[in-house]
Amino acid sequence: MSTLHTISKSPKSQLLSECLPLVNKGDGILFIEDGVYYCVNNKLLNDFELDITWYGLKEDVDARGLKLDDIKAIHVINYKIFVEMCEEFDKVISWF
Amino acid sequence: MNASQKQTFTFISRTAPYGSNRPQLCLDTALAAAIFEQQVNYLFMEDGVYQLLKNQDAEAIHTKTIGRILETLNLYGIESIYVCKESLESRGLLLGDLVIESKLTNVNELKTLLNSSDTVINL
Repeated sequence: MSTLHTISKSPKSQLLSECLPLVNKGDGILFIEDGVYYCVNNKLLNDFELDITWYGLKEDVDARGLKLDDIKAIHVINYKIFVEMCEEFDKVISWF
Repeated sequence: MNASQKQTFTFISRTAPYGSNRPQLCLDTALAAAIFEQQVNYLFMEDGVYQLLKNQDAEAIHTKTIGRILETLNLYGIESIYVCKESLESRGLLLGDLVIESKLTNVNELKTLLNSSDTVINL
């Protein structure tokens, strides 16, 4: 069983620290909407070593002018792949 | 979903009782699921644990007292009520401070709970 967690608020919301204790190995975390600011927060990147796959939604990243080329920990995916991922994971938990 | 199929829904309520309508929304959704005879787990974590404090009286702020509503959960078939141990402890609260009997559950046990749920509603 694996879960896709979506985080949709900026780091000020502390959503990632609320979510992380409940994340299982093999889960994915996808940053959407203002959640994509997590992708460029260097202080938080240390957390990105766990056995979790990290994603950022391209449309939201591009809209906000963020550059993720040097941030290898994050897979940038578009809406189409987002939809496919919703199907592939057993369930989605939305953090907002 | 087949009508005869019973699914496990886990509701996570993570916000304090009167700052927004999120606790009420979470509760209403859970009650709806319970009415349709689904297996419902209800989990309080983060500031959500404040909803369980005894002696609430929201009359002064013209709102329904959430603690009172929570006392009736078992009447609606919601008997699996969990409270996050870490959230309770970090706020200096004890099980005895709470209006209903809840299972004190650590985050590792909660991971298992979420993993075994068909659907997780997170408010």
